Parts: sequence; structure tokens; C-alpha cells
Amino acid sequence: MKTRTVPGRARPARAALVLGAGGAALAGAVLLSLVAGGRPTTPLEVWQALAGGADAYTTTVVESRIPRTVMGIVAGAALALAGTLMQGVTRNPLADPGLLGVNAGAAAAVVTATALLGPTSVAATVWWALPGALAAGLAAYAVGSRGGDGGMVRLILAGAVVSAVLTAYVQAVALSMPEVFDSYRYWVVGSLAGRGYDVVLSVLPVIAAGVALALLVMGGLNALALGEEAAVATGANTTWTRTAGLVAATLLAAGATAAAGPIAFVGLAVPHIVRALAGVDFRAQVPFSLLVGPTLLLVADVLGRTVVRPTELMVGVVTAFVGSPVLLYVVRRMREAP
Amino acid sequence: MNPDRLPSRPPARRRPPVLRLGPVALPVGPRSLLWCALTLAAVAGAAVATLALGDLGISPARIPAVVAGAGEGTEAFVFDRLRGPRLAVALGAGAALGLSGALFQSVTRNPLGSPDVIGLGAGAGAGAAFVALVLPGTVPVPLGALAGAFLAMLVVYTATGTGLRHPGRLIVAGIGVAAMAQAFTHFVVSVMARDQAGVLSAYINGSLNARSWEHAAIVWAAVSAAVPLLLYLSGPVAVNEMGDELADALGAAAGRTRTLAVVLSVLLSAAAVAVAGPIAFVALTAPQIARRLSGAPGPNLALSALVGALLLVAADLAVQHLPIGEGLPVGIFTLAFGGVYLGYLLVREWRKGVL
Repeated sequence: MKTRTVPGRARPARAALVLGAGGAALAGAVLLSLVAGGRPTTPLEVWQALAGGADAYTTTVVESRIPRTVMGIVAGAALALAGTLMQGVTRNPLADPGLLGVNAGAAAAVVTATALLGPTSVAATVWWALPGALAAGLAAYAVGSRGGDGGMVRLILAGAVVSAVLTAYVQAVALSMPEVFDSYRYWVVGSLAGRGYDVVLSVLPVIAAGVALALLVMGGLNALALGEEAAVATGANTTWTRTAGLVAATLLAAGATAAAGPIAFVGLAVPHIVRALAGVDFRAQVPFSLLVGPTLLLVADVLGRTVVRPTELMVGVVTAFVGSPVLLYVVRRMREAP
Repeated sequence: MNPDRLPSRPPARRRPPVLRLGPVALPVGPRSLLWCALTLAAVAGAAVATLALGDLGISPARIPAVVAGAGEGTEAFVFDRLRGPRLAVALGAGAALGLSGALFQSVTRNPLGSPDVIGLGAGAGAGAAFVALVLPGTVPVPLGALAGAFLAMLVVYTATGTGLRHPGRLIVAGIGVAAMAQAFTHFVVSVMARDQAGVLSAYINGSLNARSWEHAAIVWAAVSAAVPLLLYLSGPVAVNEMGDELADALGAAAGRTRTLAVVLSVLLSAAAVAVAGPIAFVALTAPQIARRLSGAPGPNLALSALVGALLLVAADLAVQHLPIGEGLPVGIFTLAFGGVYLGYLLVREWRKGVL
């Protein structure tokens, strides 16, 4: 903890500066995402294509990159905010949106759908993955929060149980039905490619609800950061903050996972960056994570499109390989009694 | 540590009997011994069932003769080529996993610890995937898995900066390495041809299909080699559970004990991975069950090994004979069973208000 002990006291000038820088970085990432790819284009060509003055080929190339860029913005924002909420609510810097079994729930639903109906399009998968992810997250929450004394260990263990059982189910179905395995192995990597506007639109209401709920609880998270007893002593309603925060995190993570597949590490790593840059005030962290998440995910996607040209690395692979070293670096700075 | 939780003994109670082997002295409780005997009987029962059930089963009366090498025709073939090696591997790998988990949980003082948590299984999977994709046919997949497991442990070891002494750092670094390894495995599985990918995927879940006597020899050699070290370590490890400061004060060198125990735990797990692939949850649940059965403090090494062997043999039996399990890798079964067991454990402890 730094010298400031009251996290509620915001510093408007610094917050504005940080948010401005975050916005600029996101704009740069969006531009990069439109410019880079299998056929490199220049920013000028992108501008011409958007304004309607480029040749048909360039226009097609640039336009094909718009949906995945939009997908990257939505999924990145949702995952980052979900991670910030999870870490804030559990007060555990290693909490991750996947902790409540959201990924396993989405996977189980996708596998069930493919097994029953045969291979389907990405857009159709969303309608299975979304309820599956929500159900798993809420089931873990319902089991883990019984008693209501805020035992976060229970919650995390309940998430682990839900994940283990669902993963076993997914593996069993996938390995006994080759055609299910065939579509599952692509889904499970996590990618922004091939997602049209319909996919984005179908998860947008869920994600918007999650964001709205997050904006409502971000003040309460500041109180929660003081610790359970101090928070209660200040008159904060910790049960409401925790419940709403976890529900919002589940909505956000479910929306992102349903649309893009399980993407590792954005939810875990972004909150650390956000805390380092925006300070401990959640009223700054929440909006800032909405900027940093998309920036990172878009940059990862651009890396995946460019490093192994002409093929592509899925963004889920890139985020894991970029995010893990960050985590390993953080480990070295962890303080622990010798 | 909460002082209320320390086992408080009435002063009049007798000290437990002690088993002495040269420089090693181990306390032996009658309850532990009883459960060891019962578990051993259950393992024997499961082993007989593995050999006897099914169309090609060897009749139980003939099993001693067949095991002694006096089997004829089909019996000998079933024992030597099909079920014998599979059973031996299951027993050895189960015992290795049970020991590995018991050591790891004891020295990290974390009931959810096992070498899987620090990325061993995921590293093994990635190693197997790498070999299958980049060097198909030239290097055996288990060798790749072993190399992957060791590489993952090396990265974890380097990343912590302080070696294996700090459990917190170990587990966080393990999460990172596991995520990287898993992403790589998913990627390889997604770019491979479908049939190959299916075979690889089955291996990565941990499977006992088509084992040979060489596999059994590898894992049994590892377990036997570990026994003297385990005898040497069991005392210091039990002292370690009381806290680093107390252990140091008693002359048990907490840091060194922990490093040794983690290394041994990783080696035992790696031996199991090499012969059976990364099998989920056995290393995690076996020590938990053992601890509850014996009611004794300390790592309960012998009972954990027996419970581990029992779990794996029973899971393999289920996979071979339950209609839903047919042909699936045994690792999926242990994952489901382990998940349910973990859930049961949680609910039970909540009822008691412990957790």
C-alpha cells in the first residue's frame, strides 16, 4: 500500500490525464487493427477506404477488419472489467473471470449444442454459450455464497468444482464424438476472427448490463478494499456490493467468452496494469479498464495476424504468451515472509 | 496458524508407538495401521477385479498361478499383454501421485496443492503436443511429455527467483506457466489433422490404454527409488507443518526440507506423467482422503500412496466396464470424480462451519 491510506480520495487532474492517455492508446490500437494484416495497408489507404475513395480491393480488405476490431473492443473491455471486479470483490490479485466456471460452462454448452445439432456457425454457437456460461457462473455463486458470510475461499473452490465437473463432461463428449471434437478444438482457443456484427450484437445487451452494474458498485468496491470490518463500520452495504460485483463480472465474462471463446489472461493481467497506472480508486479503475482491455486485446490480435504471416495465431494463444511473462515478472516482486 | 486448531492432547494420553529403522523413527498410530490394511485389501480387491472382469477375464482361482507365470493360452496373453501391464502401471502411477500430492500439500500447507497446480501436467501436455506436431514419429510422445514437464518446472523455478521455498510464489508462477502451456496445447490441437489431434487429446487427459511392462518398470523404479528419501523426509516434513519458525527452532531447516520435498514430489509426478499422461485430481484427493481416514497429523505418506493406487485402479476399472466410460481416457473419470469429491468435501466442511 502506498502512502495514501484512504482510497476514496480521487485526484481529478491525474485521473483525467490517465484516462486521456488510455483513450489515445485505444485509438492507436484501433487504427493498428485496421491497418495491419495479411495484406498490409497504410493509414492513408484506411482513411480513403472508410471515406469511400479507395479501390474496391482495398475497401474490401479494410472493411473485413472492422467487425473483428469491434469484437476486440467489446470483448477486451468486458474481460478487463470483469477481472477488475473479480479482483476487487475477492480482494485477491489473482482472481480471474474464469474462476467462477464461466469458461467451462460456455464450453459445455457449445459441446452439447454441437453434439445434438451438428456443427453450427459461430453466430449460432453464441446462443448456447451465453446461457451456459451464465448458468455455470451463477451456479458456482449460488453454491459458494451460501451462508453469506462472504467466504471468498468457498466461492473460489465452488468455481473450481463446477469447472472440473464441466470440463470432464466436455472432454468425455468431445473425445467420444469426432465431429464435436473437431469444432470444439477451434472454439476453445479463443479468437476474434470470423465474428460478424450479429455475434457482437447478440452479446452486447449482456455486456452493457454488466457495465452498468459495474458503474453502480464501483464506489462500494472502494469501501470493500478497506476490509470487511472497516467497510461495515463505514456503513457500506458489503453484501450488495459483493453480489452485484460478482453478477456483473459473470455477465461480462459470459458475454465475452460466448462471442470470442475463452481468452486467457486479459482479465487477470489488465487489472494489475490499471492499478499501477490509475491508482487504487475503483471509480478510476473501472473506466480505465474499459480502455486498457480493448487496447491490449487489439494489439495481441494484430501480433497474431502479423508474426506468422501468411497464417494467423489465434488471439487466445497470443494473450497467454504475452500475459504469462508479465505474471512471472509480478511473481518476483511478490513479498512473502522468508 | 490459529492456536485453537492445534491438536490438543490430554496430558495423560500415551505417546503413540514408534517404528524405528536405523536413524529413522516414525510414529505409527493404530488407526493409521488399520486403515492402511483396509486400503491395501481394497487395492487387492480392485486389482483382482481388473484381471477377472469382462469377456477375457481370468478366473479369480487361476490368478495366483497366472501371475506366477504358469498361465496358459488366453490367460497368459491377457495377463502379459493386456491387463497385467495396465494394472501395474495404474498401481504404480496411483501410488506415485498419492505420495507426490501428500508431500506437496504438507510442505506448502495448502490442501489444494499438487504438482498439477504448479503447471506440471500442463507442461507435460504441451511437451507431448510439441513432439506430436513438430517431430511426429521420431520422438516418443511420453518422452516429450516428460521433457515438457521438466521444462515447465524449470521455468517455474527460475521465475520465482527464490527457488522452490516460497509456496505462494510457486503457485502464482505455476498458474502463468500452466496458462502458457495450455494455450500452446490448444493451438497445436487446433492446427493438427483431426485423427492425430484426437489421439493426442486422449493422451493429454491421462490414459492407461495400451501400456506395456516397460511403462510399469519405469514408474515402479521411480517409486522404489523414492522410498528411502521418503523415510528420511517424513520426520522433517511433519515438523514443518507446525510452521517454519518452530521447525527451524527444532533444527529441521524448514527451507531445505521444503525444497527437497517439492523436488521429490515433482519427480514422482513426472514418473506418473511419463507412463500415464497427466491424470487429474489423484494427487489432490488421495492425501485428503488419507488424512481424513487416519486422523493423524503429518503427511500420511503410506496411506496416501495406497489411496492413490486404489483411486486410479478403481477409476480405470470403471472406465473399462461402465457403459458410459467405454474407451475414454481414465483422466476424464478422475477429473469428474475429483470434482464431485471436492464439492462433497466443501459442503461437509461448510456444514461444520470449518471453512
